[in-house]
Amino acid sequence: MANPIKPDRSVVTTCAYCGVGCSFKAETYQGRIVRMIPWKEGKANHGHSCVKGRFAYDYYNHPDRIRTPLIRKSINDPWREVSWDEAINYAASEFKRIQAEHGKKSIGAVSSSRCTNEEIFLVQKFARAVMGNNNIDNCARICHSPTQFGMSATVGWGAASQHFDSILQADVIMVVGSNPTEGHPVFGSLMKRRIRQGAKLIVIDPRHTETVESAHCNATVHLALRPGTNVAVLNSIAHVIVREKLYNETFVRERCEWDEFELWTNLVGSDRYAPEIVGPQADIDPELIRQVAHLYAAGPNSAIYYGLGVTEHSQGSTGVMCLGNLALACGMFGREGVGVNPMRGQGNVQGGSCLGSWPHVFSGYRFVTDAEVRSSFEQEWGVPLDDEPGLRLPNMFDAALTGHFRGMYIMGEDPVQSDPNQHHVIAAMKSMECVVLQDLFLNETSKYAHVFLPGSSSLEKEGSFTSAERRVNRVRKVVEPLAGYQDWEIVVKLMNAMGYPAHYNHAGEILDEIARLSPAYKGMSFDLLERIGSAQWPCDENAPEGTEVLHTVKFPRANGRGTFMLTEFVPTAERTSDRYPLLLTTGRILSQYNVGTQTRRTANSLWHPEDVLEINPEDAHVRGIKDGDWLTISSRFGSTRLKAKLSQRVNPGIVYTTFHHAKSKANVLTSDLSDWATNCPEYKVTAVEVVKTATGTVSTHQHETFEEAAA
Amino acid sequence: MSETAHPHTGTMGEAVLDMERLIAMANQIGDFFAPYPPARRSEGIRNHLRTYWDPRMREALLNYINTQGGKNLHEHVVAGAKALIDTGTDKKGYYGPPQV
Amino acid sequence: MWAELRDLRDNIDLGTPPREGVEVTVTIDGVPVQVPSGSSVMLAAAKAGKSVPKLCATDTLEPFGSCRVCLVEIEGRRGFPASCTTLVEDGMTVATQSEKLQKLRKAVLELYLSDFPEQDIEGGWSEFHQVLQQCGVTTHPYPRGANHQDAPIDESNPYFLFDPAKCIVCSRCVRACEEIQGTFALTIAGRGFESQVAAGQNQPFFESECVSCGACVQTCPTQALVEKSLFEGGYHRG
Repeated sequence: MANPIKPDRSVVTTCAYCGVGCSFKAETYQGRIVRMIPWKEGKANHGHSCVKGRFAYDYYNHPDRIRTPLIRKSINDPWREVSWDEAINYAASEFKRIQAEHGKKSIGAVSSSRCTNEEIFLVQKFARAVMGNNNIDNCARICHSPTQFGMSATVGWGAASQHFDSILQADVIMVVGSNPTEGHPVFGSLMKRRIRQGAKLIVIDPRHTETVESAHCNATVHLALRPGTNVAVLNSIAHVIVREKLYNETFVRERCEWDEFELWTNLVGSDRYAPEIVGPQADIDPELIRQVAHLYAAGPNSAIYYGLGVTEHSQGSTGVMCLGNLALACGMFGREGVGVNPMRGQGNVQGGSCLGSWPHVFSGYRFVTDAEVRSSFEQEWGVPLDDEPGLRLPNMFDAALTGHFRGMYIMGEDPVQSDPNQHHVIAAMKSMECVVLQDLFLNETSKYAHVFLPGSSSLEKEGSFTSAERRVNRVRKVVEPLAGYQDWEIVVKLMNAMGYPAHYNHAGEILDEIARLSPAYKGMSFDLLERIGSAQWPCDENAPEGTEVLHTVKFPRANGRGTFMLTEFVPTAERTSDRYPLLLTTGRILSQYNVGTQTRRTANSLWHPEDVLEINPEDAHVRGIKDGDWLTISSRFGSTRLKAKLSQRVNPGIVYTTFHHAKSKANVLTSDLSDWATNCPEYKVTAVEVVKTATGTVSTHQHETFEEAAA
Repeated sequence: MSETAHPHTGTMGEAVLDMERLIAMANQIGDFFAPYPPARRSEGIRNHLRTYWDPRMREALLNYINTQGGKNLHEHVVAGAKALIDTGTDKKGYYGPPQV
Repeated sequence: MWAELRDLRDNIDLGTPPREGVEVTVTIDGVPVQVPSGSSVMLAAAKAGKSVPKLCATDTLEPFGSCRVCLVEIEGRRGFPASCTTLVEDGMTVATQSEKLQKLRKAVLELYLSDFPEQDIEGGWSEFHQVLQQCGVTTHPYPRGANHQDAPIDESNPYFLFDPAKCIVCSRCVRACEEIQGTFALTIAGRGFESQVAAGQNQPFFESECVSCGACVQTCPTQALVEKSLFEGGYHRG
């Protein structure tokens, strides 16, 4: 008999993985999850899914799951299993002790983009109302913080201007530094559908990715630019548009700041941004730059989708501003089929951004220095709040090494694996007195933790996520939390243990609090989401069921107008040299998700059991490297070993790897350089050398200065 | 920073971040605002430092300028940082182009 | 303008994608119903509460017309057109049930059953099983002829398997991989009786371009493509 079992119960919830936020029906049989079936009424996915959300859910049940709290006095001691009360009280007492000895600002917190809106909100409340400082950050720091900065500067809000379906109205789709086929698969499929209908595709990416070329779907133009030249190339595209007067003057006059536009046209119109100059700098044919400019400006509907290939650079924020400038100049805002859309990677990283999990803003991107905003929070929370910006995550590590930062509460993140310059991060972690980590599994960061609180997966909790299209979707509990508590309940326990009375009967009350304190979420509630399924912010009395397309009438800036920022190209300090002649860039693959904590514990590892280094056959040949050889890759910061994969996807001079497996230690290589505005790490440009390695272990370098490396 | 950095190398009185790092960060900010006319340049830097930098980082930078004369810092960065203390009333933070 | 995506509902399969357009009125089994022009007769019937049995049609895919189950009678037209590929016209009168239609459907389903695992006819809950029940078909009258009951099962993918013994070559999987996912990993190899679903260059699923999105598994009406997680203790042919 080969008839399958029939599930007896089904719960509609949202996928835990990427920022598309697919809706699924989690089907159970006798209490066990047996299948995740995409929900046809999901407004993001319309019944489609990818291998991760559809099949890779078993990690929640993996034997590695920690089900009891753990504590230890020193990171050299073994873990001790304790009760929840003991662990929470220990963490609270340690935090209080550290603050008493070293000041209020000596501890901080980091929230998780894999946790719900409600949980992220509580963690930033924990930092602000309970710890009493603004040392709160989230992992968008290392990916899309430049989006928040750059988009706020040009159009007012750091979020996608469109909903995903809007792409079906686009005539020209420009994908910059993103690989939707791998990173946002369901959206990638929608994009391909549109391209098969005749829309043109422009891809700006150093690699010949799956987005550039796939079945019945090819890019009209692919700018395979040299890593680190984004701003020069984008300015050059703008140069053509300005010099040939292809911009939409009516739109700029009516809806933007004309004075800033003129400053901008002077800058990008200058000779140094001509395609003939920039092309050779970026290793691309100047004619292609002109082609892109003509295509984009002509539209009629041109849409930009961009990702970490824009943001994870020392000019990340500048790059984002370039995109905003381009779209404003050509009038590509305020209707379907256009816009500028950051491809937010994680399921709830947009939520983290919107809900103020930042050291410098409250929810809604409103500055902590703004007395009026601050007092509304003080009233709701009943305590005075710090009026100065706090430390960003990378600066928390810096401050740990100077002894000013000694305690940290990390929820659902693994900075030791995901943050750059791993040696620096480890040294910082080691110098802290109390690291409290809340997660599903022991990860790289847990090696340096003193308290481990077993958290809950998104299958075990109630709450909501905010996806990359600003869509707030319900997350529903399918099974009981394996360790006993939903993540938000643990945060509440911590708050109480530190003397702040917090109580919520259910997660919906937290969303209600969010609604009271964030204008864009004003109309959000569990009731609304039950009724209509999901809603995109802003959701308020003007848009009671949410807003699909932004900026249709005004831009959310003081004078309602979009503006232009001057984006001079400043080459990164990271240079190739004789010692490190290749450029390493990083990315993602379909089957694994970020640091692989979840997907490595599923059968998805069959597709991607290890990170490999993609190297062009020319570069491999001169180094005597064959496919499958073990290599030592070194940068100024360290070395690691990866297997070689010869590939034409990368041009000579460029190598590429992913970061899904802890053992590859890709972040030992990445530098300490970061975006000027947000400290978003420059993952995408690291000078390296690659040599074939025989056997044996690799000695990791000490950090080298630029001068040593160039010698 | 090497792996063998001793924990708590600094006392609370010293700079919250390594000075070299702060200077590099400040200069990077300066590079962005360089294309603006001079008055707007330093205003952009002032607004950014005020809105985004932890006060101890700003303090460390100003101390450095006062004791070392702003060595290794771009001119407009020094001007922008000094504007943090020169203005009596605290201007509200904002996004977008520098406003004078 | 995105009716084919946004007007989908979980509790009903309209059979063909919803369209936008000027409303027209048609009568299904005496029940009048208004649907946008460009809709199929099958969709109109579903809207009228008179769903037509179907196998190769589903509202997430463009109509194909291969299974021959969804036949209807249209006043003023000869023969028995497939309701999935027939577009509505204002004033059309359709009958979804008649003695002749029932006989035709029964004959088609019996042919499918003649090349389907005997021991899995009872106790199944797939779309195919539901259609069999809807049409009152439980057995077939044919002696054992050439069949696909010994075709090898492809279990290469860690999450789902493909059992050709249950495949009715409706092509929903191929179409899902094209239209919804856009990977074009599947085709129907061979012709006539030899037709079979093939991944990549007739490779195991895992080795082909298949990205394991599960769209084919979701849409397969007979559960020839099915999640491994729905079988406790593995998949075994009876």
